[in-house]
Amino acid sequence: MSIFTMDKVKKSFTNGEVEEEILKGISLTLKEGEITALVGASGSGKSTLLTIAAGLQNASEGKIIFEGENINALNQEQIRKIRAKEFGFVFQFAHLVPFLTVEEQLMLMLDIAESKLVKKDRVREVERILELVEMDHRKTAYPSSLSGGEKQRVAVARAMIHQPKILFADEPTASLDSKRSKDVMTLIRNLTKEQKVTTLMVTHDEEMLTYADHVINMRDGVVFKEESAGVY
Amino acid sequence: MKLAWREIKNSKVRFIILGSIVFLVSLLTFIISGLANGLSADNASLIKDLPEGHIFMSEDADEMYNMSRIDRGTEKKLLNEREDASVFSIQMGFMNDGNEKQHSVAFVTSTGSDLFNHVEAGEVILDRSFEGEGIQVGDVLTNNQFSGEFIVKGFVDQKKFSHAPVAYINIDNYREMYRVEEMQLAFIPEGESSFEIAGLQSFTNQEFLNTIPSYSAEQMSLNMIVWFLVIISGMLFGIFFYMMNVQKIGLYGILKAIGLKTGDLFKMMWTQMLFITFISLVLSAVISQVFNGIAPEGMPFNLTMETTVQLSVVFLITGFIGSTISGIQIKKVEPLQAIQQGEV
Repeated sequence: MSIFTMDKVKKSFTNGEVEEEILKGISLTLKEGEITALVGASGSGKSTLLTIAAGLQNASEGKIIFEGENINALNQEQIRKIRAKEFGFVFQFAHLVPFLTVEEQLMLMLDIAESKLVKKDRVREVERILELVEMDHRKTAYPSSLSGGEKQRVAVARAMIHQPKILFADEPTASLDSKRSKDVMTLIRNLTKEQKVTTLMVTHDEEMLTYADHVINMRDGVVFKEESAGVY
Repeated sequence: MKLAWREIKNSKVRFIILGSIVFLVSLLTFIISGLANGLSADNASLIKDLPEGHIFMSEDADEMYNMSRIDRGTEKKLLNEREDASVFSIQMGFMNDGNEKQHSVAFVTSTGSDLFNHVEAGEVILDRSFEGEGIQVGDVLTNNQFSGEFIVKGFVDQKKFSHAPVAYINIDNYREMYRVEEMQLAFIPEGESSFEIAGLQSFTNQEFLNTIPSYSAEQMSLNMIVWFLVIISGMLFGIFFYMMNVQKIGLYGILKAIGLKTGDLFKMMWTQMLFITFISLVLSAVISQVFNGIAPEGMPFNLTMETTVQLSVVFLITGFIGSTISGIQIKKVEPLQAIQQGEV
């Protein structure tokens, strides 16, 4: 079942007097519980597509339909609410809040998402997700004392704690070595499957494509090739 | 709130440094304000202690009280019309004690009003600062313009004019010393602003104080320092939070990307500003009030709780404005920019 569709999405920037078209009418559909990977050379428009899909910037043209609503037509506050409650984000760097402990990072995300859970249930939920990412033993640690891989696992936990419907991951393993990259991708795959979260991920690492159900290859702002799982 | 507190706890040194600067600036402001009030009282407590009303001097005096003369006819008419009115004179002069030591005084005399002390001819009531100079009740003082002697009848608390202690003398002795029949000034308590007397110019108490040249110059300089310090404290907050915000732009962007409201980031900054300012102000207010109690005798220092609270409110407002202006950066932060940057 499709949960998210993009229909003829275009994005252009004006560089001086020259108008540059980054996305040239992209259409795609994300299916519930599936991981879709966006791949392509640098400048192909994959990161721009992800940020537009996540409501972090507007498309110049086209529709982005999430749960029957065109995100591209909403105001900033409406988009913020969707980002807070329905989306989860993992970036290339963990971007954790430096003055919060691991468990506080997750509590903050529950606050931002205006979670309806009472305090006791919030604590239980934080413990549950920290166990899943195998960080329960570091719950009182600050980001400065965590390794790169640990930080990224906390970032994944933060992205999933509020049970988002869609996870946007922008090169989530780019700052990690090969072993840690595989650990983080396994984690994302397990969590998204367990929580039935739809994932749109940008990556340039072909090894990571084995974790995707669906791969969209982009070139010069258009979808060059679409392939399903098992190809890689 | 939680975020604000967690950051303060985690970056104690940074916030302690800002708090210390705010504490020192506010303490300095309280102390200078206390000195301004103290000097004001030292300069003109005789006038400041009068109830709200109007002071009249002759129009041709050119707003200089010592040039003013209220003719006897006007004086009589005024006193007949207004029972609560009083006519008085102030003259700077000297008194010699038994050891021929000269003391600078402001001679004050008046018609029968309760607002000023009254003595019989040959008697004087002095400001209590004379006690510190060894003068006692019953001592005899002289003045080279007065044929007789003054016997000290008593003392009054904090009555000064133009930084000189007041000496209340009898109206007849005054007339003899200064060879004048007329008084200089008239005072009507709670006088209506429309109350007019032909040939006399009306001043409120504060307007009259401003006609004393030393008073306005002194107060203007001190108040200017106080306001500069208040503005500096506002700028301090602005600069501090600007620096903090610049360092945290990436973090703010990420927090916005994951859905935190811009308003919550402002609330975080305001909470930190209020917390630091409140602690700093409480400390400096307590220390300045303790200083108020133990200030050396003779030091013109007077800091009321009312002034302290008023200045504290001004500090809070300027801190709020300073931090809010610097917080405009927060509003401008684009989540996308932060994501494209490296690790925060």
